[in-house]
Amino acid sequence: MAAEVKKIAVSMRKRAGAGKVKRQKAVFLLIAIVPSFGGYLLFTLYPNILSIYYSLLNWDGLSEPKFVGFSNYIFMVSDQFVWRALYHNLLYMIVVPFAILIISLLLAYLLNNKPYRENGFYKVLYFFTNILSAVVVALLWSFIFDGSFGLLNGILELVGIPAGGYYWLGDTRTALWALVIPMVWGGVGLYAVIFMNAISGIPKSIYEAAIIEGARPMQILIKITIPLIRGVIRVCALFVVLGTIKGFEMIMIMTNGGPEGSTDVIGLYMFNMAFGKEYHNYGYASAIGMVLFVILVAAKLILDKYYPDEGVEY
Amino acid sequence: MSQIRAKKVAVIEKRLSLMDLIWRVLLLLWCLSIIFPVIWILVQSLRTNADFFQNIWGLPVQIQWRNYYEAWTSYNIGKSMLNTLYYVGVGLALGTFLTALNAYALTRITFKGRKLIWSIIMLSLFLPGINALIPQYILMKTLHLTNSLTGLIVLDSLGENVFFLMLLGGFMSSLPKDLEESGYVDGATLFQVFWRIIVPLSTPGIVTVAIFKFLGLYNNFLGPFIYLSDPAKYTIGVNMYQANMRMSYTADWVTMFAGVMIVMVPSIIIYILFQRRIMEGATLGATKG
Repeated sequence: MAAEVKKIAVSMRKRAGAGKVKRQKAVFLLIAIVPSFGGYLLFTLYPNILSIYYSLLNWDGLSEPKFVGFSNYIFMVSDQFVWRALYHNLLYMIVVPFAILIISLLLAYLLNNKPYRENGFYKVLYFFTNILSAVVVALLWSFIFDGSFGLLNGILELVGIPAGGYYWLGDTRTALWALVIPMVWGGVGLYAVIFMNAISGIPKSIYEAAIIEGARPMQILIKITIPLIRGVIRVCALFVVLGTIKGFEMIMIMTNGGPEGSTDVIGLYMFNMAFGKEYHNYGYASAIGMVLFVILVAAKLILDKYYPDEGVEY
Repeated sequence: MSQIRAKKVAVIEKRLSLMDLIWRVLLLLWCLSIIFPVIWILVQSLRTNADFFQNIWGLPVQIQWRNYYEAWTSYNIGKSMLNTLYYVGVGLALGTFLTALNAYALTRITFKGRKLIWSIIMLSLFLPGINALIPQYILMKTLHLTNSLTGLIVLDSLGENVFFLMLLGGFMSSLPKDLEESGYVDGATLFQVFWRIIVPLSTPGIVTVAIFKFLGLYNNFLGPFIYLSDPAKYTIGVNMYQANMRMSYTADWVTMFAGVMIVMVPSIIIYILFQRRIMEGATLGATKG
């Protein structure tokens, strides 16, 4: 009854002030759509399209841009710095996601399936590193890796290993690998939480059956838990891989690609080409950006294809 | 027979408890990797440089609050905190308001071209953004929005974000249609319905969006780094980066430590207040994006 009265009232009002309502709706939509969607078109879509054109220019940002066709791309093939950076990206792309996923899976499993008293506290603490900015994480680990006053060397000497003022980030042998640690450290918490949520969705009865059969915890994790949350792992793997290909903030703050380019990655190489302290080359940097764009989209499609998302039924 | 069985169980239990010990140590180590560096920096930030250089493990002889004063003034953290407050505060308020308005229009109002808008927005999932940095910079320069905190706010508040749209849209589309209609019966305008009915009912979603906007803006480094060239306009992140660059000449470690502690405080407060929501929202973002 009340609903019908409402309907009638609405339709009466509609008829009475249809024009006014229409105008009001138009104004509302204008305010609700134009700033957000217009901003997206202007600041996101337009620059993305423009970047194709920029990659065909020879331009230092000061003098007139010169159209040079594909020569930026042709030069890139012979640019050894590009290949070196891509090689580092490849190493990171394998090591970092692998480490993050393994560690966060193990932590999530332990936090979820073990009755340890301290687990509640760990759940909160482990995620904390994810809300810190790249600057804070990078500075924190720069202090840890420092040769003269770093925490790492301090600990090594405390347990009797002479570190001899070794600069972990200042040596071409270790800098690349030392950077893996803050990347993993800063990323594990998020994935541990995601996996914890996924694991807690698995019915307890499945575990009970396995325990009665005499399965060990590690067997349970590998044979039951991981296969059952495969879909979530796949999404996370995609996230970490894409993030490692394009990420460079932390590297920029900690080593800026040094020493001797031993930690340079493709995103950082592009960034320094465009915004670095030395000479600028917007055209060439854009061409590198385009290649990076293609790599990222390809990685996304490949991961989607070769790691099929099969529905899991309990 | 039962004795043998009991023995067997005991053996298994012993083995399990040894494994448990290993697991617990592992969990503790990960915990220490987070807590220990932070506490170390906190303790060292209260010592003098001379003491610190002598022994990095020492405790403060006399607590040096001076280092914090020094960081706040000579490292310009005070000024950059004000800049950050303006950038994050205005960006957060404007961005969250526009996002809520946008999500409402895109999920609950039918209009011509809505489908097209949605599909154009969905394109953004395929745009990594990194290749657009340069054209974006040139565009901002042409619009005279570089080297300005307001310009940065414009760049960060106007735009679409699929994660936020999904989150808020999901919230809003679950509200019953009757609510709006009863509003219209009472003679409310569309904007009044949005502001008085939809916004209060979507508060949980809006708060989650606001928290993530806060974290995104406060932690944003690349944007302020590219667009702000005047040191008086630096946000806290860029300021700390530049201070760290200078440290290779000044070797003023304890002040730097104090600075890092100050930068962490807002993050810690937000995390303590909204820990559950942040964790839930982050999970949502990963599984839906």
